[in-house]
Amino acid sequence: MGQGKRFCLLHEPQNGAARRGAVLFVHPFAEEMNNSRRIAALQARAFADAGWTVLQIDLFGCGDSEGDFGEASWQRWLDDVIEGVGWLRQKTGCSPVLWGLRAGCLLCVQAATAMDAAPQLVLWQPVISGKQHLQQFLRLKIAHQLIDGADEGRTGTQQLLEQLARGEMIEVAGYWISPALALPLEAAELDITNKHVPIAWVEVSGSAGSTLSPASRMRIQNLQDSGRRVEARVVEAPAFWQSPGSGDCPALIEATLSMMRTGSPPQ
Amino acid sequence: MEQEVLVILDEVLSLKGRAATMTGESPLLGAIPELDSMALVAVITTLEERFGFTIADDELDGASFATLGTLSAFVTTKLQSVS
Repeated sequence: MGQGKRFCLLHEPQNGAARRGAVLFVHPFAEEMNNSRRIAALQARAFADAGWTVLQIDLFGCGDSEGDFGEASWQRWLDDVIEGVGWLRQKTGCSPVLWGLRAGCLLCVQAATAMDAAPQLVLWQPVISGKQHLQQFLRLKIAHQLIDGADEGRTGTQQLLEQLARGEMIEVAGYWISPALALPLEAAELDITNKHVPIAWVEVSGSAGSTLSPASRMRIQNLQDSGRRVEARVVEAPAFWQSPGSGDCPALIEATLSMMRTGSPPQ
Repeated sequence: MEQEVLVILDEVLSLKGRAATMTGESPLLGAIPELDSMALVAVITTLEERFGFTIADDELDGASFATLGTLSAFVTTKLQSVS
C-alpha cells in the first residue's frame, strides 16, 4: 500500500457459500482499537460465514501495521481506507460495504464522500463529533493524573489543544499525537454528501429496550430530513471498545447481519 | 442521587450489579480495579450526557471521585449550578 505495508486480515466465505459482496472494516481510535479487536473479529467471521468477504486493515501506525502512531495523519488513514476499498473491489469484483466502529465511522463517511459511492455504510456506535471525541481522548491525560494522584502542575485539555494548534506533538495515555492527526479529527463530523448511500446505524446499551442517545437521535433526524436513508437500532451489548475482556455481543452481530442489504452479485 | 450515580457506575464499569452494595462511604478512585483512566473518562462523559452539564478540566479533582458520596455531592452541585 502507499508508504509502507499495512497489516490486514482477510475473512473469506467458506467453499460453497454464495458470495454476497465485500466489507471493509475501519477500526476505532487509539486504545478503543485494541479493546475492540475480538468483537470486530467475531463480526468479521460472522460476515464471512454469511457470504461476505471482509478486509480488516490496521491503519498506518496502528496495531501491527508499519509506522509509529506519532507519524500517522488523518489523510494517511483516509488514503488507507480508500486503497483498501480499491483492493477489495479488485479482489472480489464487488464494491465494498464500509463498516466502521466509533471514530472509524468518521473515516468511512469521508471515504464514501470522496469516492461518491458505496453500497452501504454500517456504523457501529458512531462518533458524531470528532471534536468531542478528541476532547474525550485528551481528558485521559487528566484522568491519568487523577489516578496517579499527581494533581499538581497538571496538563489540561485546553493546554493540549493549544499545543496542537501551534503545530506541536502531544502525548496522551502513551500515544504521541501529531497535529496532522488531531486537527482533522477535531474538524470531522458524521455527515455524508451522497444521499443514496444507505446507512445502518447500530448502538449498544447495557440494558434491554434502551433507546438511541439524544445526540444520535438528533443526528439521524438531520440526516433523514435531508434525504439520507438511515436505519438505526439499539442492541443489548456491553460498550466493548471501552475496556478489554468484554463479554460477547451476540445481539450486536445478529442485528448487524440482518441490516445488511443483500449484496449485488460480482460483476 | 447516590442511587443514580451508582447505576451509572455499574453500567459504565460493567460491575454487573456489584455497585448495588455500595454506600456513600464506598471508595471509588483507587479502590475499583475497573476504574482505570479510560473508564474514568467514560464515567465523566456519561455523567455529562446523562445530566446535561459540562465538566471543565479544573473541576476534576481526586476529591470528587474519592467516594460514591463525594461523587454524588459533586453531581448535585453541578445540577444546581445548571438550573
